[in-house]
Amino acid sequence: MTGTPLIRLADVSKVYHLESGDFTALNHVTLDIAENEFVAIMGPSGSGKSTMMNQLGILDVPTSGNLFIDGKDVAKMTPLERTHMRRDVIGYIFQKFYLIPLLSAYENVEYPLILKYKKRDTTGKAAAVLKSVGFDEQMSSHRPNQLSGGQQQRVAIARALVNDPKILLCDEPTGNLDRKTGFQIMDILCGLHKEGKTVILVTHDPKIAEYAHRTIELEDGRVVES
Amino acid sequence: MRDIFFDLSVRSVKLNFLRSILASIGIVIGVVAISSMGMLGANMQLSVKQQLSSDVNTIMISSDVVRTTSTAGTPTTSQGIDKSTLNDITTAAGLNQVIPIHNTRTQFTIGSTDGRGSIYGLDPNDITKFLTIAQGENIKGGSDALVGANIATNFNMNIGSRIKIGQDNVSITRPTVRVAGILAARGFASDGVNTDNAIIVPDTWYTDHFGNKDLYDQVNVIMQNIDTINQTEAAIGDKVNRRTDIVRISDASSRLSSISSTLGTITTFILAIGSISLVVAAVSIFNVMMMSVNERIQEIGILLSIGTEKGEVRRMFLYEAFILGVIGALVGGICSLIIGYSVVSAMIGNTAYFFLPASIIYVPYGMIIGVVVCILSGLYPAWHASNMDPIDALRNE
Ligand SMILES: Nc1ncnc2c1ncn2[C@@H]1O[C@H](COP(=O)(O)OP(=O)(O)OP(=O)(O)O)[C@@H](O)[C@H]1O
Ligand SMILES: [Mg+2]
Repeated sequence: MTGTPLIRLADVSKVYHLESGDFTALNHVTLDIAENEFVAIMGPSGSGKSTMMNQLGILDVPTSGNLFIDGKDVAKMTPLERTHMRRDVIGYIFQKFYLIPLLSAYENVEYPLILKYKKRDTTGKAAAVLKSVGFDEQMSSHRPNQLSGGQQQRVAIARALVNDPKILLCDEPTGNLDRKTGFQIMDILCGLHKEGKTVILVTHDPKIAEYAHRTIELEDGRVVES
Repeated sequence: MRDIFFDLSVRSVKLNFLRSILASIGIVIGVVAISSMGMLGANMQLSVKQQLSSDVNTIMISSDVVRTTSTAGTPTTSQGIDKSTLNDITTAAGLNQVIPIHNTRTQFTIGSTDGRGSIYGLDPNDITKFLTIAQGENIKGGSDALVGANIATNFNMNIGSRIKIGQDNVSITRPTVRVAGILAARGFASDGVNTDNAIIVPDTWYTDHFGNKDLYDQVNVIMQNIDTINQTEAAIGDKVNRRTDIVRISDASSRLSSISSTLGTITTFILAIGSISLVVAAVSIFNVMMMSVNERIQEIGILLSIGTEKGEVRRMFLYEAFILGVIGALVGGICSLIIGYSVVSAMIGNTAYFFLPASIIYVPYGMIIGVVVCILSGLYPAWHASNMDPIDALRNE
């Protein structure tokens, strides 16, 4: 492939300026992730995994170095372009699900479509995606606080998927689930990878990491194994 | 389909229903204050204008102009408006009513009580054109008289009472008039005919006893249409004051406008007092909006992290402020009608003008101001929400 890979981190650092001094959470990370890779990021607590995911999810901008996503330099994008990239190119799945509490399961999935098309969904896509992740249709009018963890994570995955992003960022998606449910969620992610998504997964669990085809080890903000 | 951000705002308001309603009460009070104060002011102006404009449609022509004689160079004051000048005025006045007036001050005696007051000589046919008879009937001629409201009360006069006109003097028998009617109180009349302390006699009786036939002290022109008052004044001026100023022409419209502007100032002042309550309301809305934002930090983080534009987050909170405003304005609007009506009827004692556009317009005004105040109070909280850092916001429990 001649062009840049889907994701390229070139000498990326993230420094937090604290009262007690500067804290380097990501230390000169250089890394390429190609389209349709399934990558697990592992490492001890505090090693910078979430910090890295936040850079990839352009919720944050590196202090130094260059981050390219889908061929674009994140630092050169306007805030609105970043917002649109989060909406259209990236699907973010969190450990704590982070569903919108005031919206029903269905509306949570419909929401990114509304953001993109500026109108309510009439194509049935939200319902279809919700069904594809194995969510019980009868629960779709329930609010998140009426759902189990596994159900919530399915809704969260459906929400991340509904705008057909190229990249799925999953920060410990099974961290709040029991083992059995965790593996069910992993099966869904595997299926999505097979459909062509690029999946980046943070986990502490080696069993979960086994699903991935490549593992990146972080320690004190550095890549120690890739 | 409805905007999802509007739905989110509605649900947020419902979730914190009590708090939202309490905050809206501030707006209700503000709207009621503004609307009812405004309506009070408007009704005050309307009723005062109505009272005044009954005689501001009158042009007053008097002859107290100092004329300079060309020969001797000594100023002389004209004695009155003569017949030919009156004819000129009548011609210039066109279809408007021309009322020649005799007037002087005199002493009189009722029973054994002496008094002083004005005496007017008027054509009996002219009287009802601008004066209201409260009791009895109009004079027809002869030695009938009408008396003003004050004089009637002060001297205990009734229909049929007799008044001796002129200075008490043993050597002559004074002429006597008989009270045929009592006029309604006029207050300070802006057409110059102050009848409350006056006796009105037929013009024929007046000239028989005071002389000055065909020489009038004042001529009033009652306009059919007040809008043409300036043209008519100009026409009279052109006709009568052709070479030199013979008469002075004036009207009460400037007085009316100065009274209206004073009332306008008072209205503005009471509106300003009403607005203070809206400031209080604004603070409570601001407070509730900040609470709403601070309770929903994590939710805002979620919205921002999955690609919601800042403007959309702002919109969501502005909708919320708008909803609070609309609830407050609707309730406030209804309360304003009830409270405003009670206040106007209690303080002005006349609700005839309440539903006129100039008065009732203060209800939508108050409502719009209430909603606008709410939205303004929501601006900072909305801006604050939209500018949160998504990562920090997500981490907030
Ligand atoms: N906003 C911040 N300000 C200051 N320091 C921060 C901030 N965010 C993260 N850090 C620090 O950066 C380091 C990396 O944090 P990060 O959340 O990336 O760790 P992690 O690898 O995801 O850990 P865990 O496995 O516990 O989730 C930590 O030491 C953390 O204290
Ligand atoms: Mg983490």
